[in-house]
Amino acid sequence: MYFNSFDFLIFLPVTFLLYWFLDKRKIVLQNLLLLVASYIFYGWWDWRFLSLIALSTVVDYVVGLKIYESNSKKHKKRWLFCSIFFNLGLLAFFKYCNFFIDSWIELCSAIGIQNQEFTVMRIILPVGISFYTFQTMSYTIDVYREKLKPTKDLVAFAAFVSFFPQLVAGPIERATHLLPQFLNKRSVSQGSISLGCKLIIIGFFLKLVIADRAAIYVNAVYNNVELHDGLSFIFATVLFAFQIYGDFAGYSLIAIGTAKFFGFDLMTNFRRPYFAASIHEFWNRWHISLSTWFRDYLYIPLGGNRVGKFRWFFNLFITFLISGLWHGANWTFVLWGAINGAYLIIEVLLSAKNRKGILNIISTFILICFSWIFFRANTVSEAFYIIKKIVLQPGKLYIGMGDDIAAPFYAVLAIIVLIGFEIWREYIGSVKQITEKTEISRMLGYSLLIFLILYLGVFGDSQFIYFQF
Amino acid sequence: MNKHRVIIFKLIKLLIIIVIVDTVLGITAEKLFYTQKTGKYARSTYAIDQTNAETLVFGSSHAHRHYVPEVLEKELQTSAYNVGAEGQQLLYHLGLQKMILKRVVPKTIILNIDEDFLFNSTFAYDRLHDLYPYYGDHKDVLRPIFAVNNRFVDIKMFFKSYLFNSTIVHMTRYYVSPQIDYKGYRPLNGIVSEKEIDNYENDIQQKSNVIDSNLVNALKEFILNAKSNNIKLIFVTSPKFIKGNYRKNRSFSLINEIATEHNIPLLDFFNDPRFSNNHDFFHDPSHLNDKGAKYFTKLLAKEILAL
Repeated sequence: MYFNSFDFLIFLPVTFLLYWFLDKRKIVLQNLLLLVASYIFYGWWDWRFLSLIALSTVVDYVVGLKIYESNSKKHKKRWLFCSIFFNLGLLAFFKYCNFFIDSWIELCSAIGIQNQEFTVMRIILPVGISFYTFQTMSYTIDVYREKLKPTKDLVAFAAFVSFFPQLVAGPIERATHLLPQFLNKRSVSQGSISLGCKLIIIGFFLKLVIADRAAIYVNAVYNNVELHDGLSFIFATVLFAFQIYGDFAGYSLIAIGTAKFFGFDLMTNFRRPYFAASIHEFWNRWHISLSTWFRDYLYIPLGGNRVGKFRWFFNLFITFLISGLWHGANWTFVLWGAINGAYLIIEVLLSAKNRKGILNIISTFILICFSWIFFRANTVSEAFYIIKKIVLQPGKLYIGMGDDIAAPFYAVLAIIVLIGFEIWREYIGSVKQITEKTEISRMLGYSLLIFLILYLGVFGDSQFIYFQF
Repeated sequence: MNKHRVIIFKLIKLLIIIVIVDTVLGITAEKLFYTQKTGKYARSTYAIDQTNAETLVFGSSHAHRHYVPEVLEKELQTSAYNVGAEGQQLLYHLGLQKMILKRVVPKTIILNIDEDFLFNSTFAYDRLHDLYPYYGDHKDVLRPIFAVNNRFVDIKMFFKSYLFNSTIVHMTRYYVSPQIDYKGYRPLNGIVSEKEIDNYENDIQQKSNVIDSNLVNALKEFILNAKSNNIKLIFVTSPKFIKGNYRKNRSFSLINEIATEHNIPLLDFFNDPRFSNNHDFFHDPSHLNDKGAKYFTKLLAKEILAL
């Protein structure tokens, strides 16, 4: 079920009312309701993949308990490997199997070997598999590290794994943060509902008005690389930077806002990333839940920066390379990760990690946009072709045709509103200062935003980009 | 419980304010919409609310850019209006036809047939939003069309802002740069280039070939609406720059079958030798320029007279 579907518009209030109707009763009933609701939410796409979540839940639940019960480090480690092997195995099969087969076939044909034995398989990528496998792995790893006691409450654990607001596109929660919330009584307050509504409205604005509008132009240009010139690619890439931000930050805000309705706090996932004055700062502001996951479960175990310089750079690079691969089974994502890893290494070498100022913000944005070319291009060769056109063939700017002609204008208008809003948040003050003078002004402000969403938004069953990761 | 009551009360208050804001700003959007002088919305509004032309031309950009009402009027001694709309497909034409027929019954309807009309296409549904502004006055005929592939139509259409979704930039564009038309026809100028022909040849191989039963039903309903109102309905295909075996196209062959079944004449100009490979008549491989459109309309009028 998509957040931007009318199904969800009915699903949310019904679940909300049932949930708080159970308020006075046992917490386990609320968890059970959340579990059922989450399975309905997920099963709306394809009920067959519910078995994967259920299996992942049971495996990590059992492994968590086994790690805790084991007396020796060796046994604990063995159980941990079971969990990691299972979760990464799921991911490897459903997400990367065809990628590796395809790459192998291409490699063989490049060196002149005809490989008839390997053919790609018909595998459907289960929605959100990258997110929930990482979330459950964090549980078993934290139990192993003794940061967390495993829960014996299977219903609470299953609800934690499948919690519908963040199930398919994050934020990727840590068990240490989210699981205790399932084990304790939640409460609803006027403040949390109000905040939830605000976050959902802003999230939809980011998604439907900015991301989906920008996508129309971006797709028109990036899916027809032969037909467009460098200027169009520059404009499309800048729009894509806001498309992916609007799409993903929008989803995160809707997820965080929805969780508030049920008395849960999810972690902040984006903090105005395009105000970063260095790549290092950008990664502290962009997809925070994933960046910190890789930091805590990959980069630091590899040695982090407490090793020799060469090994440190290797750790940085490999972390971003794998982060790139996590985003998608395509060499474009691997290269995107590699570019960001290289950026960070260069920043360390230039001692430019702690830069400040508008010029550094702009230069960071340009560097990030350059890496987005690889992220958005359909193939690696197309990415290089686009760069070649940007450098050698600026040409003229495509402004769209027919209905599409309006899309970039809407997107640019909405981006200007977003930038103004974020400048206020970054440098001046909180949103409260703008909207919360009185209750009526606050409600009017958000009603106006809803009007803009309905008046300018793109309505169709457009997906959130991060669902594919 | 008291806490819950306060929350529900505030949510209701918010909903009321949303409805008020939507109504007030929605009425403004509606006023803006209906005061347009040129552009696609002005043309469809004129067709729905004002035209009394005896001959109406329906279809996509091929209708809009190829049929010159002034030529039809001169040759057929009739009044004509071109209600073709760029990028639109059968569901749109059906909606427009139904709205027009509620007010006036033309003598003749020409439907320009695109060979891919019956193939599955998201555009056929997505672009229906051009008809949303008319939902308030024509719910009876539009609701069944919008509901074909769209659940919760009533909830969505409740909001005025949603009805006028995406209209503002087009309107601004038409105010700044009026889009002049000649009884619904807008000429194209210039001559097709070789590069465009190459690109077009690559492009035509990539289209869907799955028949959409909703579109088949829409075509049949379009025919029945004309028949039940004693309107002479004529199917016409526009000339193409590149010759092709369009009869092999599943969608086009099905359209032929339906036309035969309902005794609808189909005047096929797809491979007309007077147009094929004639650069002078084409703006691009798929669209005639003004010179080509006038010539085509003249030839068509002669064929219609001969029917």
